[in-house]
Amino acid sequence: MHGDDFERMLEKANANILDAVELGDSEAQAAEYRRWGDLLNRRGRIDEGCFFLTQAYVLALECGLEYADDIQQVLISHGRDRE
Amino acid sequence: MFYGTQGTLTEVQRGIETARGLPNAHYISDDVYEEERDVLLFANWAGIGLGADIPVPGDVMPVELAGMPLFMVRKHDNEVAVFQNTCRHRGMILVEEKCNLRGTIRCPYHSWSYNLDGSLRATPHVGGPGRNYDDNVDRRSLGLFTIRSHVWRDIVFVNVSGAAPSFDEYASKLLGRWREHEQPLFHGGPVSSFAFDVRCNWKLAVENYCESYHLPWVHPGLNSYSRLEDHYHIEEPGHFAGQGTKVYRQIDGDKGERFPDFKGLGKFWNKGAEYIVLFPNVMLAAQRDHGYAIILLPQGPERTIERNEIYYGFDPEERPDLADLVRRNARLWKGVLEEDLFVVEGMQRGRHGVRFDGGKFSPKMDGPTHVFHRWVADKMHASRANASNGASAPDA
Repeated sequence: MHGDDFERMLEKANANILDAVELGDSEAQAAEYRRWGDLLNRRGRIDEGCFFLTQAYVLALECGLEYADDIQQVLISHGRDRE
Repeated sequence: MFYGTQGTLTEVQRGIETARGLPNAHYISDDVYEEERDVLLFANWAGIGLGADIPVPGDVMPVELAGMPLFMVRKHDNEVAVFQNTCRHRGMILVEEKCNLRGTIRCPYHSWSYNLDGSLRATPHVGGPGRNYDDNVDRRSLGLFTIRSHVWRDIVFVNVSGAAPSFDEYASKLLGRWREHEQPLFHGGPVSSFAFDVRCNWKLAVENYCESYHLPWVHPGLNSYSRLEDHYHIEEPGHFAGQGTKVYRQIDGDKGERFPDFKGLGKFWNKGAEYIVLFPNVMLAAQRDHGYAIILLPQGPERTIERNEIYYGFDPEERPDLADLVRRNARLWKGVLEEDLFVVEGMQRGRHGVRFDGGKFSPKMDGPTHVFHRWVADKMHASRANASNGASAPDA
């Protein structure tokens, strides 16, 4: 994917997250943050990716989503969290 | 501030024949209110809510005890716990409204997240963006402050100071007195729950509930079947006070239906019923076929929320045939308890009379009220003596 296209998609993701915030839909927020956290990490943009994954992690914890633990393991693997 | 012709606590502590009631300041002064909050409410076991408020694991409910923010939670193991409702980070209120949580308790400010057992689970971005730990932020030592709690008769009691004897020891005399009533209780549902917002100091509600002297005048409807002479005083100095009746009459439905009795009660309870205040702030009723609890939630020196909650020995949801009687019973009690409101509000206004001297007790009729005043005076006197001793102690 071209860089500009990716940035446009990132802006769209941000709009999706704001929509979810407006609706009070924490699960949707968590899913969107996670998706983009993983994508950014795969592109080597670790600081941004872990920022997004942190958002996803906390919201997933709040929603009682099982994948919260998986996100935390990713954060730990990047030295961004501890048990 | 001049609050009136001040009696002293020593005068309250005298025998009832010569004692005076508590001075005006104990009802209208902000300073004394705060002192009593610490000495009477926080240092003992005070009621704050019900197990029925949080019936399902994950349920949380914020509540304030004399301004102190707390929340009750039903943990995943179905046990009730109480925490200070304050985030360990910046002191933000954590739980704003009653709800069910599927996961952690997330602070709405910076999203520090707590497990239902109060432990701190996550500290997002605490070490900078996307970095969720910091060597100087030890999550293990930053759990929520647990408030000591105990559930009895579905009432959630807390001991904020953490220094009181165990609840079982604290309430042992009442637990013993009512041991036959130690059996499952079922809340009567939304119709059996009502609250009054009363313009009085919380202690006046206690004092009025303790005594039967006022019944013929304030509750004239009782005179036909529950006369003054059918009542007796209940006095357990240092613990509780109240009144009992020897002519309790069950409520009947249109078809003569009645509530099932609690199981295995002794003969006394066929016509006996008791109405007791467990100091400081929980007013209770034990009767053969239902009981109730009134939790007093002080809102300041001159305002109190009274929560009234009716309980049965059977599950009302399983007895739709008794639904109408449950509703009527709640209406009946609401009516009786409302009759007391003008009295406690009138006594509150009366305590702005600067020449009121605490009042003169009737040695025959005001015994339970004096037991409560004496409890207050003893606790306050001891606390002030300790503070005074501490203040005069040499520096270590």
